[in-house]
Amino acid sequence: MGEMHQILLKIGPAAFRIASAWRQPLDQLVALYSDYPLLVDQSVDFTVRLEPEKPWRRLLRPSVHIGGDFWLPDAAPLPLTQGLLAAEMGMNLQMALGWRRHLLLHASSVEKDGKALIMTGLSGSGKSTLSAMLAERGWRFMGDEFALLSLDSGQIFPFPRLISLKNEAIGAMQKVVADTRFGPEMKATPKGDIRHLVPPKAAIERMDEPAKPALLLFPRFGHAPELREMGKSEVFVRLTQASTNYVALGEGGFNALTRFVDQVPVKAMDYQSTDQAEEMIHDLWGQLP
Amino acid sequence: MTQKYRAAAQDDLIWHELDSMTLLYHRTSGITHMLADPAPAILEVMEGLSLTAAEIAAQLTARFDIESDIDAENIVIARLEELSGLGLVARVSG
Amino acid sequence: MMRDARLLVDALRNPASVEMLDSGQWTELISIARAESLIGSLAHRVKDVAVPDRVRAVLQDAIEAHDLARQQALWEADCARRALAEYPSKIVLMKGTAYVAANLDAGVGRSIGDLDIMVAREDLPVVEAALLDAGWEWVKPDPYDDQYYREHMHELPPLIHRERDRMIDVHHTILPLTAAPKPDAKAILDDAVRLDNGLYVMAPADMVLHSIAHLFADGDLAGGLRNLWDINLLLRHFSEADENFLAELQSRAQIHGLRVELARALRLAARIYGASLDNIGSVETAISDNLYVRRLLARDGYGRETRKLTRFAFYVRSHWLRMPPLMLARHLWTKWRKGGQQPK
Repeated sequence: MGEMHQILLKIGPAAFRIASAWRQPLDQLVALYSDYPLLVDQSVDFTVRLEPEKPWRRLLRPSVHIGGDFWLPDAAPLPLTQGLLAAEMGMNLQMALGWRRHLLLHASSVEKDGKALIMTGLSGSGKSTLSAMLAERGWRFMGDEFALLSLDSGQIFPFPRLISLKNEAIGAMQKVVADTRFGPEMKATPKGDIRHLVPPKAAIERMDEPAKPALLLFPRFGHAPELREMGKSEVFVRLTQASTNYVALGEGGFNALTRFVDQVPVKAMDYQSTDQAEEMIHDLWGQLP
Repeated sequence: MTQKYRAAAQDDLIWHELDSMTLLYHRTSGITHMLADPAPAILEVMEGLSLTAAEIAAQLTARFDIESDIDAENIVIARLEELSGLGLVARVSG
Repeated sequence: MMRDARLLVDALRNPASVEMLDSGQWTELISIARAESLIGSLAHRVKDVAVPDRVRAVLQDAIEAHDLARQQALWEADCARRALAEYPSKIVLMKGTAYVAANLDAGVGRSIGDLDIMVAREDLPVVEAALLDAGWEWVKPDPYDDQYYREHMHELPPLIHRERDRMIDVHHTILPLTAAPKPDAKAILDDAVRLDNGLYVMAPADMVLHSIAHLFADGDLAGGLRNLWDINLLLRHFSEADENFLAELQSRAQIHGLRVELARALRLAARIYGASLDNIGSVETAISDNLYVRRLLARDGYGRETRKLTRFAFYVRSHWLRMPPLMLARHLWTKWRKGGQQPK
């Protein structure tokens, strides 16, 4: 069997072992996660495996198969140049298929005054970019992929991984953030051009601090700015579709999600620029009890 | 029709009202159902009892303001068949 | 770094031994257990042993995940029961669903996939029709595969329920018709035991022999450690409940043509999981046992399948066992021409 290298990472409540047949993706992870707590001599929740798609793909046009404790049968391989993306996708996969300690919502979240703003929607809604921008404008970044909803307390817990910026968002963030916080450019991935952004130090230091959910937004980029009400039934259904573990959590999931939908105000928000979005968010936030 | 039906036990169900729909978590199956009227009302009327479709229709007509020209019994039968497919209602034999 | 699955086997055999593990070894054990679909069983075995906090959380997650699997499996069985309410003959649950329905140790922490049921061969058309009527649909619309399954395999082509998204496999015997051993399906159905809800499970000896048939004659030993653990627990449970069980097992194996497989399973269960059974018969290790053990333990501390040559040998052999050589060649040729699966 081929030799494997490994590192350990802790992000919010979850700990990972990332094992890789190549050093390069791990070196990139170590550099970008350098401010995160160092894990030595601790057990983990999940192992991610980055392996050659076929044995001869270790060296020749190296191709990375994403695997681990939890895996999908038809996962498409990535070239080694996108090994960092493969590692991040591998961690997403472990959480999506294996995490049970919170209800997972496919959403970004940021915190201010002890309260959390959660933004959910399909790819292209802009939730990642908005969370990255707000993180540079006085909000604490909590996560851009998963918001963790506690079944007991109803609070949102952080899962502050590297922020995944796509296409135009990369340029927009490069104007406001130091270059040292960016990962390598990865062009023409299955999701377009991608660059990872290290969250602000404060977000990393406070990765174990939850916040009470205060506002849920369904952002939609590329439409004239508008705020709309949403019916609770629609919100509930869309949130179950945005959660990979709602069914797995059974009664606890049902109670947590119904409580969330009952208690958290929600709006659909159309916008054409992050400035517009920020203004609408600022107004809504000010109107909260 | 003299076929009687029985609903799942009350402690097997968790109800939650949203605006236009009613959520129902069925403990035995772990399935969350989203029901529109009159399904929740039918289940409520059936609580703890074995009833025929006609009896259920009569209860609904009495409790809620239902127009008299609606063929309530056939509507109830159709809903009962759906609910029975979902495992929320069972046909009672004998 | 662990090179094989011994860490898992030792933990299952002797739960107290995990108190000595360091964090790195726990990480490996968890990866191996997940890869072998044994983490639920492991979690239950070490429930009362002192483990680090994060490990306790991981194991608790596994217990809850398997509780959910159990709930879903029993519900799916109940849905099939209701769909087949008009069918007068026995519907026999198989594998994991049978173990949980019958409240056996082998069902505790068991990962369960599809629903497997067995009915009389002549009733397949009426059972198929009732399931299709109740919301199940065919998974694969491939005509070649369909023909192959119907004529040669021991089950209907797979069905999936359109709303619940769960699969059901309807069997009429426990091995492919093209395999060498010819189990007596009628005997299995005749002696099946009724549960309270009107569904059936196999009689104890048949239940064990089905698991054994599945382990050796119906696969390339993938998932073998889990399968052998089932066999180990079933053997222990039934032999403790009935002192004549092992004799019954031998005579039943004779009826089904599975004596060789039974003997091998007993030797391997003893060797790997320490099953100690009186009257086991010959305990002489067959030379091939070593190859089986090697294949069963072929999992490293990262959860990767190792020992590739051994695995390929078992894959081709398993196809060989399922169908005669000429048919095998034709089957593999057709599959590869259509760009289907290649042996890994």
